[in-house]
Amino acid sequence: MILKDEMLDSLLTELSKEQIVYVPKQVNGTTRFAPYVSSDKMKLDQVNTVMPPKDLLFPQTQNMYHYGVEKNSGNMFIDPVIESADQILFGVRSCDMRSFDCLDAAFLTKGYIDEFYQAKRDRLTTIAIGCTEVSETCFCESMGQDPNHAPQADIQLRHGEGGYNVTAQTEKGEALLEKFKPFCEEGEVEVADVHCTLNVDASNIKDNLDILHESHELWDSMSYKCLNCGTCTFVCPTCYCFDIDQENRCKEGVRFRCWDSCMFSEYTAMAGGHNPRPEKRDRVRNRFMHKLNYFEDRYGKMLCVGCGRCIEKCPVSLDITVLIDRANELAQAEETEAAHA
Amino acid sequence: MPEIEIAHGCANGGEPFIPQVCRIKEIIPETHDVKTFRLTTLDGKRPFDSKPGQFGLLSFISEGECVFVISGFGEDYIQFTVKKVGRVTTRLHQMEVGEQVGVRGPFGNWFPYESCKGMDMLFIAGGIGMPPVRSFAQYCIDHREDYGHIDYVYSASTYADLVCKEDLFENWPKVPDMNVYVSVYHASEESEKKGLTESYTAPFLETLGIEASENRAAVVCGGPSLYRTCSESLKKLGFADDHVVTTLEMRMKCGVGKCGRCNIGSHFICLDGPVFTRAEIAQMYTTA
Amino acid sequence: MSDITTTLRERARALMEDGTIAAFIGWEAGRFERQTTPLICLDAADTDRLIFDEYCVNTTAKYVRDLKQRGRIGVAVRGCDSRAINRMIEDNQFKREDVYLLGIPCPQMNDRKTGTVLNKCQDCAHRNPVTYDELLGEAMEETAPQDRYARAHLVSGLDRIARQNIFNMAFERCIRCYACRDVCPCCTCRTCFVDQRNVGWLGKQDNLSENRFYGMIRAFHISDRCIECGECERACPMDLPLMAINKKLVEDMNTLFGEYESGMTTDNEDALRSFSKTDLEEFE
Repeated sequence: MILKDEMLDSLLTELSKEQIVYVPKQVNGTTRFAPYVSSDKMKLDQVNTVMPPKDLLFPQTQNMYHYGVEKNSGNMFIDPVIESADQILFGVRSCDMRSFDCLDAAFLTKGYIDEFYQAKRDRLTTIAIGCTEVSETCFCESMGQDPNHAPQADIQLRHGEGGYNVTAQTEKGEALLEKFKPFCEEGEVEVADVHCTLNVDASNIKDNLDILHESHELWDSMSYKCLNCGTCTFVCPTCYCFDIDQENRCKEGVRFRCWDSCMFSEYTAMAGGHNPRPEKRDRVRNRFMHKLNYFEDRYGKMLCVGCGRCIEKCPVSLDITVLIDRANELAQAEETEAAHA
Repeated sequence: MPEIEIAHGCANGGEPFIPQVCRIKEIIPETHDVKTFRLTTLDGKRPFDSKPGQFGLLSFISEGECVFVISGFGEDYIQFTVKKVGRVTTRLHQMEVGEQVGVRGPFGNWFPYESCKGMDMLFIAGGIGMPPVRSFAQYCIDHREDYGHIDYVYSASTYADLVCKEDLFENWPKVPDMNVYVSVYHASEESEKKGLTESYTAPFLETLGIEASENRAAVVCGGPSLYRTCSESLKKLGFADDHVVTTLEMRMKCGVGKCGRCNIGSHFICLDGPVFTRAEIAQMYTTA
Repeated sequence: MSDITTTLRERARALMEDGTIAAFIGWEAGRFERQTTPLICLDAADTDRLIFDEYCVNTTAKYVRDLKQRGRIGVAVRGCDSRAINRMIEDNQFKREDVYLLGIPCPQMNDRKTGTVLNKCQDCAHRNPVTYDELLGEAMEETAPQDRYARAHLVSGLDRIARQNIFNMAFERCIRCYACRDVCPCCTCRTCFVDQRNVGWLGKQDNLSENRFYGMIRAFHISDRCIECGECERACPMDLPLMAINKKLVEDMNTLFGEYESGMTTDNEDALRSFSKTDLEEFE
């Protein structure tokens, strides 16, 4: 089935009558996924948005409950705020699609289900577009993704001459496809595959990082130039760590959770003053290990999808692919040395 | 060897982040900066059942949430023993009986009270490490016939800093087949009147003539230096790593393994812990 | 390889080998074309990786703080780097004798993507280092920028509402990663006010009011010390026009307290931290 380019606006207008449709677009000096309005200039052919779509499911600041003192009884009250709405994420890329797998694992498995995340997740429909262009920092293929195709998406689009090939991939997708039909026609356009230009070997990275001990020089040399800002964690589609805090107004208030960054020293600082990760080196190591080793250990998948946002935005060009290369090299050296000894 | 169980569940079922409202039923001053708070639901029931070593999170209007080990419970209450350290604990210390707080829990795993049945127990606590250890010890005392001989070693900086004095000097000495040993780091008139030794925990422990055996488990809780020195002493005494149980502390926010900050390697203290054997901790650090 | 790169490597290596310095801070090539990244040499062999070209966009002086316990630190400095060094000396972060400066007259840095002069370099008035121990290459003739406060025009001259709109537009998209603070040579507080969680100056929620509060307090806090290097704006992942605010404050400082440039010497009298009888007293 083909969705002709000129029908796209009509389709999105139709879809947004019933649901909020998030599309990648330029908003206030940056690019992110934001609700579609019919006059929008979308950025469908550009490479990744600056901000990942994770805030659809896990907003940077999310109220959890209101609390306060009831006027009559004098009792404390707690009113949960669980927000959810039917949302369509349109134009998402393979890497960001894969990031939802990571978020799902973190929020929905291992004993507890995060009700705030689930409420939003259940009502999200995803329409992926295969990449037609890659940026120099894209390395999703090295992390096991296919930039042309996102198997997790409900509907997959691929752009070719004049239009998009439309394929439903899930039940949810099939249902939504009905809405597509009036705007589509039979047939198929010819599409061309794209490939990442940045490639690293991440196939053994978990084991290789296991070989390199905590005291290894690698972590010194990787962390010297880090500024300990939170840029990499905030633009990352898979970074999910959060803080819980509250805002008070006299005897009422709201407790919310908000994105936090393991790069901040305050993140692990305890009330008595002790900090288990006091140095920049400890924090840089923890972040990379979480991405490439710990998460795999716990959830069976990497916490890096290869979107390249952290490489693009790091003020000092600290590069996770350089880390992967160096770790491979050093682990091999250690192994060779061990074999000789 | 003690086996530590992990279970996931909390009193609020599907909403682990939402606290239940409780009332402060009783406040017991322990020392100049430690108080025990007994909490009950608004209709006077016990907020939830917990096992020794599990923790809960307290929150109040105006201040954030904070993690505390549940130091014990009764018919209609659970209790937290809290030292005044930071912003939240300072606020908590200003509260009075009848005031209301939010509580969520119980979270985390618990002391291996099942697999320790029939064993001799050695409890070692320092300073504010008392409440977690006490929760287990009290369980053993409440089920006295299930456990063998009990030794309880407790130290604090000064006599004034000793928590749960009533248990130490009144209640526990009456418990059959239980020895209580108390030391202070800095002697004072009062400590001498009570005949307490002036010693740090680890050297004190080594003088007590407690022997390791296949059938004796040690439970340790205290600050990082106490943990380090006592671990060495226990090793010297012949305790195997899987016979030493401790409870770890890290900064926590969610309590359910989501928020990310309390990890050691791929383990979360709030979810896989806080109770670990020394063998497990060693393993955790080699893979971290 | 440019002459400067060769000389830089030679001098850095020599200084490390003869024990003058314990570490050297410069730049090395990144993974991508025309990309550079800060390099911290702890070993003489590392100096072979040093480069200097028109894409060395990072101002690196702040790393001296992390390294100073190792001994004397060598730094490659251009105008902005040298002013950052002066600034930090004045703020008691280290002493002049703790650093050994290899001065490099700056050809102006380019944006690697567009190949044009980097925003932050456009109205630079001091391309030659203002302090150094050795100068590599010939000092160049300085050209005063046409308008030192060109960037401030985004907000100056506007009425209150219009100005507020501009601030709101900007801080609405701030994600509070604190890259601006962490890269700034003036931001050297031991504990930043945003991290004083026990006091609670700033809420952790990301919303316009908290973001604006953070951005404005930071801007005011460095207003009499800003060396106009533009690193905050370059580092910002959300492209906030931070230099418009900083330049406006610098302009105000100059208007209210007299001609002044921060970081030119180490004995400046910072406007907000020194007292003079001729100071403005608006609140009489």
